Amino acid sequence: MEYENRLPPEGINTSRQHPLKQFLQLVIGALVLVVMIVAMLQVSGSFLARKIPFSYELAVMQRLNIPLGDARRHADMTAYLNGLASRVGAHMAMPEDMQLTVHYDDDEVFNAFATVGGNLLFYRGLLSRMPDENTLAMVMAHEIAHVLHRDPVAALGGGVASTIALLALTGNSGTGMAGQLLNNAGMLTSIQFTRRMEVAADRAALAAVNGLYGHVNGAARLFELFRDGRDPHSQDKEPGVLERFVSTHPLDAERISNISRLAVAEHWQQQGELTPLPADFKRWLER
Amino acid sequence: MSSLLGQAAGVVILLVLGYLFGRLAERRHFQRLVRQEAEIQYLPVVASRYPPEDRPYRQQLVSGNVVIASDYFKAFMAALINIFGGRVTPFESMLDRARRESILRMKAAAIELDAAYVFNIKFDTTRIATGRLGAMEVLAYGTAMIPQDT
Repeated sequence: MEYENRLPPEGINTSRQHPLKQFLQLVIGALVLVVMIVAMLQVSGSFLARKIPFSYELAVMQRLNIPLGDARRHADMTAYLNGLASRVGAHMAMPEDMQLTVHYDDDEVFNAFATVGGNLLFYRGLLSRMPDENTLAMVMAHEIAHVLHRDPVAALGGGVASTIALLALTGNSGTGMAGQLLNNAGMLTSIQFTRRMEVAADRAALAAVNGLYGHVNGAARLFELFRDGRDPHSQDKEPGVLERFVSTHPLDAERISNISRLAVAEHWQQQGELTPLPADFKRWLER
Repeated sequence: MSSLLGQAAGVVILLVLGYLFGRLAERRHFQRLVRQEAEIQYLPVVASRYPPEDRPYRQQLVSGNVVIASDYFKAFMAALINIFGGRVTPFESMLDRARRESILRMKAAAIELDAAYVFNIKFDTTRIATGRLGAMEVLAYGTAMIPQDT
């Protein structure tokens, strides 16, 4: 018997398509897919989550009993904040079953947030920089507006749905950097939705502040504080398109100009007497 | 935001490096494979389990193995192809190189023994975990038929 070797045929196991062309097709396809899936799930997830009765949301949070702040150690501050929430809430067409509970945390975090079950958490870092009650009322009204719009539960619903989808798509261990890229794309898509919630909350908050004090003086001061608190050197810098795109909240400068535009459109007074914070406010802030 | 940009820049740099060096290595490897395959084409490698019986042969196991690593670009592409399905082309060429290289090394071992043929050639392949990027081992082995009268 004769045996002979033939040289292996070339081109069977190599693709004729240029790898960069295929790479571009794949990256664009995957990004479009992720953006579409996340956008769809954000819309449908938050839509469905908003259908959950507030009483159920409240019951779940009570059962979970997640500790927020320390009401016993900071009884005076907690009482004051809850009182302010009631006064602000009175101007916000709250449904009867909607309860608000304000908590105080003495961490130096420059923030406040609303979460499910009508819980609002204010940090010492934010409160210690409040110049007057009007500014504080604007924060309070903004967070109450989130509760009123059911934003925490909507964000949770949309967020959970899109996170699960992204995990299914990129969660297996082999995806590596590509998985990270797609997760970031999904996160950026989600952010576009939370930013809309912020704009709506600002609007409702401004109306409530106007209802409470008869003017909106002090409201814009809040975002000036935020701007200064975030980066004291960036005040004069024009924010780039990229910064706008990756920010969870509208840019502070935009919010300040939106407030004055809204005040003009609604004929709200932009000047008025500022209400001072209670005399003991500084003492309440002490640890 | 800066961490996001830093991460994106890191990904781009790794992809560019992976693409340039990976492609260069692959092209050079294929060129060398074609040249060496032609050089030692005279030694037949046969998949048959039935060796010739025309004269007495001494038999000996010969093997050749190779480990080839993927690069960031290939791994990135493969992860994206996993989503849509289809030929995982970046790994096809990598495995092709590994198989052909392992045959060459096995044949080199057989030539050392003055073999006339290598029979019953088989392949084994193993994925070797080297962090997130995969590496692949391919082992080719067969029975070297060494004529007794030489």
